[in-house]
Amino acid sequence: MHSVLFRAMLVTSLRDKITLFYSLLLPVVLMFGLGMYFNEPAQQLRIVCGITAVSTLFWGMQGIAFQIHWQRSKGVYKLLMLTPMPLITFIIVMIMARTVIGVAINSVIWLVGMISFRLEFTVLVAVLTFLIIILGTLCFTGIGFVLANMARNEAHINMLSNLQQMPMIFMSSAFYSLSGAPQWVSVVGKAFPFEHYVQLLTNVHLTKSTVSMITLIVLILYIAISVFVSSVTFRWDTNSNQALLKSQRA
Amino acid sequence: MYIEAKKLMKQYGSRTIVKDVDVTIEPEEILAIIGPNGSGKSTMLDMLIGLRKPDSGTIQYWDQSFKGKIGVQLQSVPFFPGLSALENLILFASFYKKKLSKKEAFHCLTICGIAEVAGTEAGKLSGGQQKRLAIAVALIHDPELIFLDEPTAALDPRIRLDIHQLILDLHKQQKTIVFTSHDMDEVFQLATRVLLIAEGKLIAEGQPKQLCEEYGVASLTELYIMLTNKEESLHA
Repeated sequence: MHSVLFRAMLVTSLRDKITLFYSLLLPVVLMFGLGMYFNEPAQQLRIVCGITAVSTLFWGMQGIAFQIHWQRSKGVYKLLMLTPMPLITFIIVMIMARTVIGVAINSVIWLVGMISFRLEFTVLVAVLTFLIIILGTLCFTGIGFVLANMARNEAHINMLSNLQQMPMIFMSSAFYSLSGAPQWVSVVGKAFPFEHYVQLLTNVHLTKSTVSMITLIVLILYIAISVFVSSVTFRWDTNSNQALLKSQRA
Repeated sequence: MYIEAKKLMKQYGSRTIVKDVDVTIEPEEILAIIGPNGSGKSTMLDMLIGLRKPDSGTIQYWDQSFKGKIGVQLQSVPFFPGLSALENLILFASFYKKKLSKKEAFHCLTICGIAEVAGTEAGKLSGGQQKRLAIAVALIHDPELIFLDEPTAALDPRIRLDIHQLILDLHKQQKTIVFTSHDMDEVFQLATRVLLIAEGKLIAEGQPKQLCEEYGVASLTELYIMLTNKEESLHA
């Protein structure tokens, strides 16, 4: 029976054209634009990994946050609560469905970039990159779920996601080296999962297929914490008691 | 007895929405819950279906796994955005562990009179079509007990008649139906028992005809106005 839910969540995610535009089309165009300007293989590799990471971030965080908000505001979860379907099953299936599409999109972006810029890579690097993208997508989708539970409306989602995403991107080595930046930038950047994800994606090429255990653990910790927090903070309804009282008085 | 609720009480802030209400739902009846806007009907319905917990009082169900045996049409019409009417129906059936083929789902939409919009995105259906899809969702798992919150509100007379017929057909199939409505003619025609609620309290209960005789009024509308006016003047 979960396959019906999984398929339905895949369909609704694929029909979300706005998020698909920001997660697939825009990153590919941006990657080609930057890649043509910086004509060095080392820079192009940084661009491919950076764009793949940013796309993962947008798909994971904003994508699921808006999808949950729309479903919640339509009252779908109220009706879901009245069925025997367990909440945790719904959360897991939804995260898995979005992760499948997110992994497919980001793998395509990475592969298109590597092939277009004629960057060399081994099968092992491709496999490790694929696994890292799975981890990254799970991590940011989990954070997106928490964001959806915190936000009250669409504008709130935009504000909260920008507040989290902008420092993550600017304090990371996604598009430039942080070696010349003040030390606090690098310290704060490392507190976010995004910098660890970028490092995993780039280091797998530069250090000949090795993966740093610390960065891996940080990402896994973020996944565990975000899934736990999203299940604890999950709201069935957008209406608070106060809103209900107001409508009763009207 | 399907549901027996005793001394139900619900408060939001300092305002008491439902006060010491006793409700029973008997098998194979059509129970109408009526009352002015803001009288606590929907809150009481929400407590009976398990959507909200009462602050005090008890609710006993005939079956511990009642969730899979009740069908609910809420006042709002909730559907998964991006999915068609048919896809929504199949998805909701899966929540009840029921594997529904496209043919079966289509048949259910036909019964509810919206087969022609099966492929249309649920959110893009008209108000009447959405209401009928919500009723189809409530019936998809063949529930024993069906709750319909204002099933005919804001619908044109033809669709109202279709829904009245659907309720009567379900009753013939030994289903128990609980509905809320502001249309007293509809209540008189369909309900086998009526609960009149005002200011969160149960102020009258009985068969529609019997209630009219008891209070010496010609219609349910007259009774409704008489009792709710009385209740309001008591609280003024």
